[in-house]
Amino acid sequence: MTLKYAYHSAIAGIGATPFTKDSGRTPMDQAVEACLAACEDAGLPPEKVNGFVTYSAEQNPEIELARNLGVEEMTHFSMVHHGGGAACGVIAVACQAIYSGAADYVLCYRAFNERSWHRFGAGVQDRPAGAEASEVSFSWSSPFGLVTPASWVAMFATRYMHEYGATTEDFGRVSVVDRAFAATNPYAHFFQRPITLEDHQNSRWIVEPLRLLDCCQETDGAQALLVTTAERAKDLRQKPAVIASAAQGAAEDQHMMRSYYRDSITGIPEMGLCARQLYQSSGLSADDIQTAIIYDHFTPLVLPQLEEFGFCDRGEAKDFIRDGHLQRDGRLPINTNGGQLGEAYIHGLNGIAEGVRQIRGTSVNQIENVENVLATAGTAVPTSALILSQPQ
Amino acid sequence: MSEVMTNEQKEAFVAKLRKEVGSTGTPSTARDPVNQPMIRHWCDAMEDANPLYTDPDAATQGPHGEIVAPPAMLNAWTMPGNIPRVNDPQDPASGVYAMLDEAGYVGVVATNSEHVYHRYLKLGDRLTGTVKLVDVTEEKQTALGIGHFVTTETEYLNQHGEHVGSMFFRILKFRPGTGRTASTGGDGDSGAERPPRPRPSRNQDTDFFWQGSRVGELRIQECQNCGYLQHPPGTRCPACGSTDMGYITASGKGTLYSYVVSHHPRVPSFDYPLNIGLVELEEGVRLVTNITDCDPGQLKVGMPLQAWHMQTHEDVSLPVFRPARIPRNPSTLTFDEVSVGDKLPLCPIPLTPTLIVSTAIASRDYQDVHHDRDMALKKGSEDIFMNILTSSGLSARYISDWAGPDAVFKNLKIRLGAPNYPYDCMTMSGSVTAKREADGEDIVEVSFRGQNSRGPHVTGTVDLALPRA
Repeated sequence: MTLKYAYHSAIAGIGATPFTKDSGRTPMDQAVEACLAACEDAGLPPEKVNGFVTYSAEQNPEIELARNLGVEEMTHFSMVHHGGGAACGVIAVACQAIYSGAADYVLCYRAFNERSWHRFGAGVQDRPAGAEASEVSFSWSSPFGLVTPASWVAMFATRYMHEYGATTEDFGRVSVVDRAFAATNPYAHFFQRPITLEDHQNSRWIVEPLRLLDCCQETDGAQALLVTTAERAKDLRQKPAVIASAAQGAAEDQHMMRSYYRDSITGIPEMGLCARQLYQSSGLSADDIQTAIIYDHFTPLVLPQLEEFGFCDRGEAKDFIRDGHLQRDGRLPINTNGGQLGEAYIHGLNGIAEGVRQIRGTSVNQIENVENVLATAGTAVPTSALILSQPQ
Repeated sequence: MSEVMTNEQKEAFVAKLRKEVGSTGTPSTARDPVNQPMIRHWCDAMEDANPLYTDPDAATQGPHGEIVAPPAMLNAWTMPGNIPRVNDPQDPASGVYAMLDEAGYVGVVATNSEHVYHRYLKLGDRLTGTVKLVDVTEEKQTALGIGHFVTTETEYLNQHGEHVGSMFFRILKFRPGTGRTASTGGDGDSGAERPPRPRPSRNQDTDFFWQGSRVGELRIQECQNCGYLQHPPGTRCPACGSTDMGYITASGKGTLYSYVVSHHPRVPSFDYPLNIGLVELEEGVRLVTNITDCDPGQLKVGMPLQAWHMQTHEDVSLPVFRPARIPRNPSTLTFDEVSVGDKLPLCPIPLTPTLIVSTAIASRDYQDVHHDRDMALKKGSEDIFMNILTSSGLSARYISDWAGPDAVFKNLKIRLGAPNYPYDCMTMSGSVTAKREADGEDIVEVSFRGQNSRGPHVTGTVDLALPRA
């Protein structure tokens, strides 16, 4: 099996609303603004869009969005499963739709008030409810109080620390890196507010071993990305960010956020599956990646992602991080927008937009000589990843 | 005497109570010599399997050369038993108790017991105890109620007039119903206002698990064709493809594979911080559960655990885990093997009504509050509760199970806090706090604590003489 759509499509436009804690607007209103901004960025009239891809937990139907955007006919529309795990999956599906001829211009979007309306971090206190498999699955965790995303991730983190000797300081170093980039990004919630490792260690427990500063924000806002063929993108306003490859992955004995029953729970095999597909189909390797957007809903799972993509050996991410390789001048600066801890938590799409800016050379924290950017999606769920490249 | 006293009346009352402070009662001789049946009864009730107390062969090889009584039994030998209490006019302590009863301070709890052991008691020894009234406090407000603390000291001699031990003892006599509002505490599912936990939903594929849990069985799905075990359950065996799925009943033994301690956000159904564990059963599968009866700081990957079933709804029980009881150490630690800072393994003691009642009787404590729920309620308690001699006995068992049978207790000092009520669990923990040589013996000091869901029930220290290597 190989992905046939490698290098075929590109991200031609990006658009977002301001990222806030209380938008005072409906998510639909913000979705429309972000989509229009992405079209405007690309110089494409919105009525040319004929495909929409979003991902589960999205509450703004593409048909309503299309009505608001003035899109008359749609030939591809799909919803990818597993929330933030699908952040790059929406791009993969857009690539598939475009490669197959099902659509020409596809908008991928996310819009919500996950801070001022229903707080995303509150978890699933109301589940399980019914007898369907998706509901029954919560019976194995919710009655014991394991109800929040932070708690689901923390269970992996404790075991990882036990097996590899990583510490909460190593998690904190990820947070410090994110916040350092956010501090110089005017678009970030934490603009001009860097933190120290001491700040991290002094922040309160959320779910041990996770502290407050290990957890991403909750954000009101929207982000949209416009995907078309690399060829068509050349005729649009911006330098195309070519999608070298984009892949999805779910691995053996996969559960939603709680794949606790595998022989080992310190790796992320579904992310390893994405890495294999990306490297194989693009012909690239870890050595070809200059900067990365590593999904950081919670810091501990940044470490095994670095291992799955081969930036360091298994169990050695802590050393890679201690050596400063994620920082501005390191081997692999990550989350140059400030990440989801520092900029905003738009379930990964805002990170992909930053990857596009790194290819264009327009990031406020621009890394020199960027050829390829890796972006990953939500971990512990079935996930996805992509590599953006300079146009040839 | 009236219910409410003026300050002057209080002062006069305290003066009356204190009149005999410093005086000594009539020596009281044990009705029976130290004997094997009473020892065996004590060991059965306390689940103390130290062979030096009951096995003549093992005892001959031990440091005493013959059967000895568990040292914590010291004051059990002279307990009056269940006979009508006639106040001994010569006994200053019983006089004070009678005055307090008459004044309405009918509630009683022991708060401190400090045993010193000069020599272990052997079969046939006959004990005589002499009680001295040491102190009566002025009236104090305590969590249980308004009352007076009464302190006594008892010297014990054997039939040869040899000084075998002593006991410093303090009790609180209080007025029922005058306590500070009891804090709720306890496990998350007892609070009146508290919503129930998220209810597990079930379907035809998972019902066997919850039916099992309801009857105290931890059931794990088993493929009837190839024997593959899996949790959470599925509809088809991932190993062989069979759809013939049954289950096994797991032993409930497991180890902690990973864990989290949840602090925020707080769901009203739970107590925080909340211990949530990923337990690997000895059968090989894992499950998410709660780790009860230990503090977050006591959680450790790899720690041995034992399942129990917590009822959370009328028709739902959840399989949860607590630290497993570590088997008794059959050999004895040497002085050199022990270092200051060493931690003793955790030991849970489920507080069944049987344990509370049988240990009270085995220690010859017939106070109604330890076996009669109606009387316990009447006297201001929430339920029957463990007597202090049992708290000493269980502490001694915990220490001895860790140190080994030949460790010799030099003393045992405990202080009680939250009462041990039935259906709770007390988890013992401890650490080595000092090592020294005294009178030619190698002494190790251990500090310990027994914690129930309300807080520390017992805290204490013990000096042990350990053998050289």
